[in-house]
Amino acid sequence: MRKLEYTLRRLLLSLGVLIGMTIVTFVLTRVVPSNPAALYLGQRARPEQIEAITQELGLDDPLPVQYIRYMNDLLHGDLGDSLATKRPVTKEILSRIPATAELLVTAIVIAISVGIPLGVFSAQLHGKPADVGVRTVSIIGVSIPQFWLGLILQLVFGLWVGLFPIAGRVDSTLRFSSPIEDITGLFVLDTFITGNWIAFKDVSLHLILPAITLAAYPIGLIARMTRATMIEVLGQNYIRTAEAYGIARRMIVYVYALKNAIIPTLTVIGLTFAYSLTGAFYVEIIFNWPGLGLFTARSFLNLDFPAIMGITLFGATGYIIINLLIDLLQAYLDPRVSLD
Amino acid sequence: MKSKVMLIIVLALLLALVGTSAAQSTTVLRVASTAGVTTWDPALSFSTEALYMANIYETLVRVNAPGADSEISPVLATDWSSSEDGLTWTFNLREGVLFHDGAPLTADAVKRSIDRAKAISGASFIWLPLESIDVVDDLTVQFNLSYPAPLPLILGSTYAAWIVSPTALDAVDADETYFEAGVAAGTGPYMLADYTPDAEVVLAQHPDYWGGWSDGQFENILISIVADAVTQEQLLRGGEVDLALRMPPSSYQSFVDDEAYNVATETTLFNYVGFLNVLRAPLDNQAFRQALSYSVPYEDMIAVAVEGLGTQARGPVPDGVFPFSEDVPQYSFDPDVAQRLLEESGVDPSTVTLRMTYAAENTIEESMAPLLKDAWEETLGITVEVEAILFGQQWQEAKADPAAAQDIFLLLYWPTYSDAGSDNLLSMFRSSEAPFFNLSYWANETFDTLVDDAIVISGTDPDAAQAMYTEAMTLLVEDAPGLFFMDVGTWYAVPTYLDGFAYNLNYPFSIDFYAITLAQ
Amino acid sequence: MSLSRLFLGKRGEEPPDNDFDPSLVQRSGWAHTLYVIRRDVLAMFSVLWIAAMLISAIAAPLLAPYPEQGAGRNNVDDRLLPPSTQYLLGTDELGRDVLSRLIYGARPAMSSSLVVVAVAVLIGTPLGAIAGYFGGWVDEIIMRFTDLFLAFPSLLLAMAIVALLGPSLMNAVIALVASWWPWYTRLVRSTTRSLREQYFVEAARSIGVSDAMIIWRHILPNTITPILVQSTIDIGTVILATTSLAFIGLGTQAPNADWGLMIEGARQFLRQAWWYSIFPGAAIFLTVLAFNLLGDTLRDIFDPRQYR
Repeated sequence: MRKLEYTLRRLLLSLGVLIGMTIVTFVLTRVVPSNPAALYLGQRARPEQIEAITQELGLDDPLPVQYIRYMNDLLHGDLGDSLATKRPVTKEILSRIPATAELLVTAIVIAISVGIPLGVFSAQLHGKPADVGVRTVSIIGVSIPQFWLGLILQLVFGLWVGLFPIAGRVDSTLRFSSPIEDITGLFVLDTFITGNWIAFKDVSLHLILPAITLAAYPIGLIARMTRATMIEVLGQNYIRTAEAYGIARRMIVYVYALKNAIIPTLTVIGLTFAYSLTGAFYVEIIFNWPGLGLFTARSFLNLDFPAIMGITLFGATGYIIINLLIDLLQAYLDPRVSLD
Repeated sequence: MKSKVMLIIVLALLLALVGTSAAQSTTVLRVASTAGVTTWDPALSFSTEALYMANIYETLVRVNAPGADSEISPVLATDWSSSEDGLTWTFNLREGVLFHDGAPLTADAVKRSIDRAKAISGASFIWLPLESIDVVDDLTVQFNLSYPAPLPLILGSTYAAWIVSPTALDAVDADETYFEAGVAAGTGPYMLADYTPDAEVVLAQHPDYWGGWSDGQFENILISIVADAVTQEQLLRGGEVDLALRMPPSSYQSFVDDEAYNVATETTLFNYVGFLNVLRAPLDNQAFRQALSYSVPYEDMIAVAVEGLGTQARGPVPDGVFPFSEDVPQYSFDPDVAQRLLEESGVDPSTVTLRMTYAAENTIEESMAPLLKDAWEETLGITVEVEAILFGQQWQEAKADPAAAQDIFLLLYWPTYSDAGSDNLLSMFRSSEAPFFNLSYWANETFDTLVDDAIVISGTDPDAAQAMYTEAMTLLVEDAPGLFFMDVGTWYAVPTYLDGFAYNLNYPFSIDFYAITLAQ
Repeated sequence: MSLSRLFLGKRGEEPPDNDFDPSLVQRSGWAHTLYVIRRDVLAMFSVLWIAAMLISAIAAPLLAPYPEQGAGRNNVDDRLLPPSTQYLLGTDELGRDVLSRLIYGARPAMSSSLVVVAVAVLIGTPLGAIAGYFGGWVDEIIMRFTDLFLAFPSLLLAMAIVALLGPSLMNAVIALVASWWPWYTRLVRSTTRSLREQYFVEAARSIGVSDAMIIWRHILPNTITPILVQSTIDIGTVILATTSLAFIGLGTQAPNADWGLMIEGARQFLRQAWWYSIFPGAAIFLTVLAFNLLGDTLRDIFDPRQYR
């Protein structure tokens, strides 16, 4: 019962935070001197046309009036039209989610499958040179500037070795030879389901460099967190008991200990996900990955404020949901909480 | 057991990765371009989507690059004539032209297309001299002007002059966003086959194109939208595209040295100008403005900012377009003269701090700005503050309150259609009540009169107009309300397996894909 | 944004399950800290590198071989020269000495990160202490307010502020402060909540010491260690953030030197002039690495129970 109350309270507060966000973003984007009409009509539009567009878009109304109109539309699921593409912002954002999601999920999968074993391995060798090595590697992961790592990978593996495509998400000529059937929007998955191996190979190769670039930071984080919690767990009494019973060391480490060490690590993974949204921004710019990051960059460059509002709201909602999920997950999963 | 299944899956995936390669069943030209699409409405189009528009739609005539046999080529019109006073123009249309949707080209389609562009386009000002359009018969159309403007140049504009299918015009009358879903209906060689915003545009052959098709031309054009020049270069070098339309200036030499590419060097109508705010001291002082003009490092700027691909400008009209003139004077980088003019101006340089703004998204201005700052500070002993802001904001600030605005405004300008008299000179330096692109806020009656008069007679008596324009530009350069930096060039690295690539400076945002073929 | 704080294992929302024990601090005093650092090669490297960067930032005009070029003056006759005895790390596209640019680039990197973290601590600490000490509705209001800032994606906030005020290092700093201080509020709040129940606080309260005095004398001094550890790691993360912002044109503006800005400029010369992109990247990497390593070592010293 207390948990239900807690959940409801958190939900309500999150809603309040979101409304606060809309006000902040709205004011920020509207006080910037910009020229929406020029964006709408092209930079050479004449004053009388700018006048007309300003009226049509209601940009000369007082700010509170504009805000209420915006919120009213928002409640009807309408984020307005992008000034640059003249398409609904909702549609623009939704159409870019799969690309970003594919990149993010792949990076997190890489980070987990490298980070956790690395952490476990390091914890077992606690204090030995190999442990120091793993710690150093994980600190390097969180210290390297992503935009720089991306450039270096592009140069080395894309241009010199020629192993991977340099940029983009898919070789677009595939549309003529082996078109990708859009099922989930995640190209790797779609091509796999449909057995389109030519396209599968192509999209996988495109994905590798950006995903590795994006994964570097979370690998370091997850490895460090896993290591820390594993060391703590391995020192617990029940592990010693298990050892005394003669249960195989591998079994102890990977089943009993890891199971208990995974909860704090989950928290990190969740937050890493939120963090990687920011990382994805830089990675998408460098690898010309057609996702939300590129859209964000362009919208800000153009001062396309309906798009900016939409992205900010979307990003904040995502962040709040992830935070909420982590907190709830912790509250429900952590045995120490449920034993209370 | 489980691990064996995993192993088999992994092996299968690896085999799939190694063992397959793409096979092509159709000829595709792969292009990387920065050109985003702000609208698919040909009447509203006033931005980078011109690259696609120019391959999908056609105009009545086309303006040729300098040096061609004739200034104007027929496209949808076959021939034309004008009355003696230059006010009535009659155009005969090409027979048997079909729009992509199967509708035939008619005089009515021409009238409706241009009337609509004149009413709603951001570039509608080009139709200022147009009074009305009459449909004489199915294939004859007559334009009535209010003053004798050079109509073929306007009809050949890359904006607001596309001829659109009447079926599409009906549809857009009913729903004004009809085109925005990615619909196009022109007469051009290529049809819009697919469009993913910010990612790619796919064009496919228009089978009934009036120009016909021959071997070696491409069935499909696949344009990847890549905002970043460095990425475009890498895509080209990695063989992932056949053409990259925007590459960093710095890679020019390495392509020249590479035998796999032909490098075409072109002049453009892009021109860099600096506006000096003449409403404020010390920029209200002519000698001081001239001193600034004499301490611009023109040569270094061309060498560094555009890798030598440019020439020092002669006023605001770039070389290659009417009414450019070799007779317009130029300043040079001459610290001694600058120093003398500074003394003459009576301005104490140690008290002068100038604020210079440039468009943060323009990399050429980004490299110009520090060179200017260094040169002025060193030569004149003044202080220059450089500020990069997004163009939209920079312009907004400059228009809002001239008295409080920047001191120096760097601007990249180009004529909307092939007449820089009625555009560059008028827009940038003719006085107006509210500033628009005349961001020096300069007002000179003689200049205004000369330009106004020249515009009106340029259709009937281009020589007299040229003389008046030259006089106006000379006056302008001498009074120095602006800094005239450079006309910039451009270059394209075209793989040797492609033929027919051509750049026409009158259409700076377009490349004619129909002309490109696989080399024999 | 700053995930590194998770290494402290305290997310602020829930009270930490292991109470903070101030006596640990006494056991590991400054002498001990220095001793540990001197024995640890990596920690030693960190301290030396950070010191070198601080000295570069302060004494850039004295250290740079070409101070004028470091400050931005162009030298177009010597464009893109490879490393040589004249220019140890080569030159950039305006002919400026890369080494001098790097030394000058330490200025925005060090100053902005120190300012961001210092201001974030100054805002976050009192709020966190008040929220944690008083609890109830005060806590609720303060923490919801911090949630508002935490929920705002910091990159978007930075972009919005920069779009509003124009791109500059100062504005990037403002944006980063705005998204950074809430983390310190959370950190200090959770520490305060555990301290509040400690015997010495109870004792002070029972003899009538005012709340303000208790916070000042008993709570704040005991939050210094976790803040110190956290802020060391954060400085590195902020350097990553400011250089990233400069890379996309939202931070330091040319002609000022900045490592991120240098990489942005070097990008198009990646093939012709490797030195121009490699060295600034290495400078960012090593500096961030040094702060992370030092933070790690400090945490091991001050908070040994957690990770030893």
